[in-house]
Amino acid sequence: MGTPPAPYVTSETRTTTKLVRPSRTTTPSSPRAASIMAAGKKTGVKEKTPEGAPSPPGYRAIPIKFSQDQASSHFLYIKEHRVRGGAKSSWPPDRTLFVLNVPPYCSEECLARLFAACGPVQSVRLHEKPDLSETPKESSVFFCPKPVPGFHVAYVVFRKPASLPKAVALQGPLIISAESHPVKTGIEKWIADYADSLVDPEALRLEVDKFMEEYDKKTAAEDAKAEAEEGVPDEEGWVKVTRKGRRPGLPRSEAASLRVLEKEKRKKARKELLNFYAWQHRETKMEHLAQLRKKFEEDKQRIALMRAQRKFRPY
Amino acid sequence: MGPAPEGAPGRGAPKEPEMIEPIMEDTESEENKDSPPSKKRRAGTQDGGLPPPVELSEAQLYQEPTNEELSQMKETENLFHSNLLRMQMEELLKEVRLKEKKQQRIDTFLHEIKQWLLTVPSTTVTEMTDQSWLPKGVRVPFIQKPYAVKGRFQFLPPTQVTVVGSYLLGTCVRPEVNVDVVLTMPKEILQDKDGLNQRYLRKRAFYIAHLGHHLSRDPLFGSVRFSYINGCHLKPLLLLRPAGKDERLVTVRLYPCPPPGFFRLCRLMPSKNNVRTAWFWDKTTPEEGILDSPTPHYNTLLLCDEVMESHLHLLSAMLASSPGLRDGIILLKVWLRQRDLDKGTGGFSGFIVSMLVAFLVSARKISKSMSGYQVLRNVLQFLAATDLTVNGISLCRSSDPSLPAVADFHQAFSVVFVDPSGHLNLCADVTVPTYQQVQHEAQLSMAVLDDKTVDGFQMLLMTPKPMIRSFDHVLHIHPLSCLYAACQRLKLWSELQDHGGDYVAAILPTLTALLERGLGSRLILLTHSRAPVPQWEINQNPPKHKDQGALSLGLLLRPEGLVSVLEMGPEADHPEAADFRQFWGSRSELRRFQDGSIREAVLWKAESMAEKRLLPHQVITHLLKLHAGIAESYIHYVGGSLDPLIRAPKEVHSTGEEALAMVVRAYDQLSRQLWGLKGLPLTVTSVQGAHAALRYTDVFSPVPVWLDFTFHDHLEKRDALLPRPSKPCPAFVDPINVVCHLEGSGQWPQDADAIQRVRAAFQLRLAEVLSQEYGLRCSAKASHTDVYKDGYVFRVRVAYHREPQILKESCTPEGMVTLRDTPNSALLDRETRLLPQLTSALHGLQQQHSAFSGVARLAKRWVRAQLLSDGLTEESLDLLAASLFLHPAPFTPPSSPQVGFLRFLSLLSTFDWKNSPLIVNLNGELTAEDQAEIHSHFLESRIRLPVMVIATPQDRSHSLWTKDKPSAQILHHLVNLAAKALPILEKHLMDPSESGDIRMVFRPTLDVYDVLIHLNPRHIPRHREAVDLPAASFSRGLLESTGPSRRLPVLCYDPPSLYLSQLRKAFGDLALFFYDQHGGEVIGVLWRPDSFQPQPFKATSVQGRMVVSQSGDLMTVPNVEAILEDFAILGKGLVQTVEARSEKWTV
Repeated sequence: MGTPPAPYVTSETRTTTKLVRPSRTTTPSSPRAASIMAAGKKTGVKEKTPEGAPSPPGYRAIPIKFSQDQASSHFLYIKEHRVRGGAKSSWPPDRTLFVLNVPPYCSEECLARLFAACGPVQSVRLHEKPDLSETPKESSVFFCPKPVPGFHVAYVVFRKPASLPKAVALQGPLIISAESHPVKTGIEKWIADYADSLVDPEALRLEVDKFMEEYDKKTAAEDAKAEAEEGVPDEEGWVKVTRKGRRPGLPRSEAASLRVLEKEKRKKARKELLNFYAWQHRETKMEHLAQLRKKFEEDKQRIALMRAQRKFRPY
Repeated sequence: MGPAPEGAPGRGAPKEPEMIEPIMEDTESEENKDSPPSKKRRAGTQDGGLPPPVELSEAQLYQEPTNEELSQMKETENLFHSNLLRMQMEELLKEVRLKEKKQQRIDTFLHEIKQWLLTVPSTTVTEMTDQSWLPKGVRVPFIQKPYAVKGRFQFLPPTQVTVVGSYLLGTCVRPEVNVDVVLTMPKEILQDKDGLNQRYLRKRAFYIAHLGHHLSRDPLFGSVRFSYINGCHLKPLLLLRPAGKDERLVTVRLYPCPPPGFFRLCRLMPSKNNVRTAWFWDKTTPEEGILDSPTPHYNTLLLCDEVMESHLHLLSAMLASSPGLRDGIILLKVWLRQRDLDKGTGGFSGFIVSMLVAFLVSARKISKSMSGYQVLRNVLQFLAATDLTVNGISLCRSSDPSLPAVADFHQAFSVVFVDPSGHLNLCADVTVPTYQQVQHEAQLSMAVLDDKTVDGFQMLLMTPKPMIRSFDHVLHIHPLSCLYAACQRLKLWSELQDHGGDYVAAILPTLTALLERGLGSRLILLTHSRAPVPQWEINQNPPKHKDQGALSLGLLLRPEGLVSVLEMGPEADHPEAADFRQFWGSRSELRRFQDGSIREAVLWKAESMAEKRLLPHQVITHLLKLHAGIAESYIHYVGGSLDPLIRAPKEVHSTGEEALAMVVRAYDQLSRQLWGLKGLPLTVTSVQGAHAALRYTDVFSPVPVWLDFTFHDHLEKRDALLPRPSKPCPAFVDPINVVCHLEGSGQWPQDADAIQRVRAAFQLRLAEVLSQEYGLRCSAKASHTDVYKDGYVFRVRVAYHREPQILKESCTPEGMVTLRDTPNSALLDRETRLLPQLTSALHGLQQQHSAFSGVARLAKRWVRAQLLSDGLTEESLDLLAASLFLHPAPFTPPSSPQVGFLRFLSLLSTFDWKNSPLIVNLNGELTAEDQAEIHSHFLESRIRLPVMVIATPQDRSHSLWTKDKPSAQILHHLVNLAAKALPILEKHLMDPSESGDIRMVFRPTLDVYDVLIHLNPRHIPRHREAVDLPAASFSRGLLESTGPSRRLPVLCYDPPSLYLSQLRKAFGDLALFFYDQHGGEVIGVLWRPDSFQPQPFKATSVQGRMVVSQSGDLMTVPNVEAILEDFAILGKGLVQTVEARSEKWTV
């Protein structure tokens, strides 16, 4: 959710050209494109990992298993995180490992532990889809329920750039749930999740209070600013009219403008004379006939369709 | 997805699984949804989809009308309802009329028959009791009882062979084309007194027996069989079918008739006797004092043959110049046929209807220039308004005083329609219930024709109304032999004599009258249907009465009448009291009532709604035993056969209506408490239910829970209970959702995030206040407050009415505020506004139609049992069930869950989802114009709408409840399943001897699935709700006794659904998961065929896939082996085994 518009914005009626929001420059949200392009660089160079698991160009396949007992394994596809020149990325360029196809039972802690073998890990972040920016984690545990995990992509940031080549050269298979670090799944996990979902009312209250305090502060500041700008022309001489002014205008919203249009239309319709002149009369009749014909044609088509579907066999 | 590709080759290269046959070119993948309608889809609409846009050029539209066009329009306006109806009728007529070409083939066949008939050799004269002249291979098609009869017989070829009946009149109806051929027997065969004691009828039988024998030796005929005219066992006839490929084309029926003027009509008046008692009961010496009672039905049989030709002349004269009348008769025949009214003994046959049209023409109610539609309408109007059981009609114009009067006919027959000769009652065999059914249907049909919002054509002429689907309860009497004993007990000697020993026909009027009186106010209509008319080979004996299947009675119940368990009789000192006592026998008791009167009364035992619905069973069993001596074992009552499926595991008598009513009571209390809260800063403006239980459609009602604390783990810091891993999963508690709107106020922030926080604060406050003011145990979360009350857990959700609006607002770059639906706003709007509205509307529906709950729950139960729990929203199923009550045409609203469920299956399987929206007019808010608008909007925007469109007054154009699901494939699958289940179920219910299990239509076929995941019942909390009650049962941590509970139960903890949501999240792109939430032990998995195609590597879509090298290229395919292991890992503890069933994924 983007930042919601401050309340007074909704009541703007006339804004200067300068008040027009700049359309936000969309960051080329094409991590997909980026990765494809990254992949494109090395087309033709088909790598084979020593174990024999084929991997796409640019990536390395590392088998990963839940535990020692599993017969077959998933494959993590990893590579150094790189982007094309133009695109911005908030991940540190030479210390970040890009991991594809992380199984649902593999958490961030788990990945950190697995890659710790290559060097100290600074952070691990799981995403649904490749994401170039390091979005902060949602702070509230009360209002943003924990999503159900699926397959993820991960960005593993090492402390030192030297860890990266080690990671790329890592040999599998990786074991997620070792005896020393068991990972809960199934019944145990659901019970743990259930326990986590029980909230402490006091903590919730505190969080709400804190949020509202900040919110009140923010709205108060905005109100004060609006108050100060009230009736004051900007540098080009435009004055913003708001609901709070001396002559409140119509709210500048779609619904309101539609209402006005509708009103105009009705006014116009009242003035018009119908079936007054002979030609009007004639035309209405012809229009009626045309409607009939059109309907007849439609009906014929419907019948043809029903006939095709054998809809007329009574039994 | 269609049926399992059984026997399809399962080996070799990655085979495209065949289970997906999209009805519309619509796949679930995201890309397709977002992209504009693809070419493919457009192509799909061309063949059999929507009509392509009408293409009439401007010039064509506005050209001057021709005279012809104007007159055609005028005619349509005058003669038909609308253009569409006119064309529909024309198409239907085209479909049922005989084709010219076939008519020629039939004509040649008839010609050949005629040649043949005239050359059949004659025989010598013999006594009728000496039947040795008959050759070995043929049996007399007549039950000769008593055997001895006077008279002589001799076969001579017919003097005349005439084609009569509908074929000649051009009113015969495909696909069963019958041509009636009358053979006039030569005078020499017959003797003077042949009208007496079945002599003539037996000679007829001998005549066709001899004919049959000769014709059967000719290769011209594919089959030569016997049957009965209208099922009357005294009048056999011979059926001939051509050999070769024309065998199905036509059946020629040979009727022997006497030479014209053979019978003296005055001897056959309804008051005359022509079957002597002494002869019939085989008494050698006539006893004194026994009168020969009139035999009106027997007389009718003879009269029929005598006047047959004159009727033909009348009809052909009428129809000769009037195609409209002919069309009308054909339409009427189709109408009767769809209602099963024209079949068997006492049916309201096509002939009667033709004669009725003749009557209306003579009465100037129909003119010869009318169209078929008008004829249909007028006849229905006449039938609906006229009661022939009281006011008979006559075609006879003669004022001859010797003719019997209509009143005489009324004495002898129940339904009276006298023919032009003035002697024959055309409706002699029609019983009162049959006529009442005709009348009832005519009234219903008239209502349909007058209602602009229903498709009258479809309802009247295209929708079959089999007995089991039209009547609330059905009763079979089987075997029939019990009825003979009943006849004797009721002393129906003269009736038996009149019907020639057909005890079913003899007892029917008495039986139905008895039951109608007994059921009284519980009944709208009682009808009967006998097994179809038998046909048999000529070398077999005619079937005996007792072998003719069963007698089925259909009961249409009056829901208001079902409420009472008391049959109030007259006051004890009234003279009628004795009659009441006699009628009810030992069940009648003297009772003192609250108003002080002492009356005779019968009190039936029924506690729950389900038992009250089945009261007619008790009544019928009692009355039949008392008056007719028919034991209970002969009565097969089909009324509550599906009830066990919606009975909660611990219930015995009830089907859950009472438990749901208790939930609603607790909710009412809670809502009063919420209204009365003092400690909230804002007042409550509305409290609305938003849960299936509050609209009576929760399959298994929530039950009060009292917890066994030792069974659970405790989380002390939250003062809450947790499931304990070592124990079976605790009982599943589904909180009952309640939406509580708070008043609007300037204090509400106008920002979505802030509103969310304020709501959370209210939830906390609500919990505090509720526990302070009413001592209820509560627990608050950010989005809701759980309240533990009377053992139920209510989930109260605070709502602010402007919140959806605020979520919708967005600002355009120009600074204009626009309202656009966002997923969040739509969800909130749905949950806080539309769902409560729907819940209250359906709650209201339940108050009007008490069977609604049962029907909706059975429907849901069935869909879920097919493992489609998540394929459809439960609201959409509720609406489907509601539509059966709000738009019952051509039926009446169901009064029993059984019939409602059958109609649900039929609706699901026959509704044209692709081309029409299902309009559910809740509370009757939509006018005809509104509905027309919905239709036109639907046609305009079909492509953007979901595959299944349901429109309600609150949701006219978006079909909210079907927006996300079902997908095209699921709907297709469901429609197929319903189409398969319906005939199986109907056959089962209509066959009293069937001993199979009714639950079989509720058991899913598991063959279609690629992988089955078997679950451990220990961790399925709703295990006991399964279709087949499982043998094992586990403790779920509940106590029997009620008591105050300190802690809330574990809520919404259902391991299978948690597991499923994980599976869908992780593998939703690769597979579909199917599960029955009511105690299913198996999850069915279907791989998505498209995801099994090798795809080039893409960083965005490698979930669960692996890279393989395929002929030099690197492609990704699903890593199936690892995924199968994942199934087990994710569901550790819950999953027993993962069974991979086919090898579709081996590359």
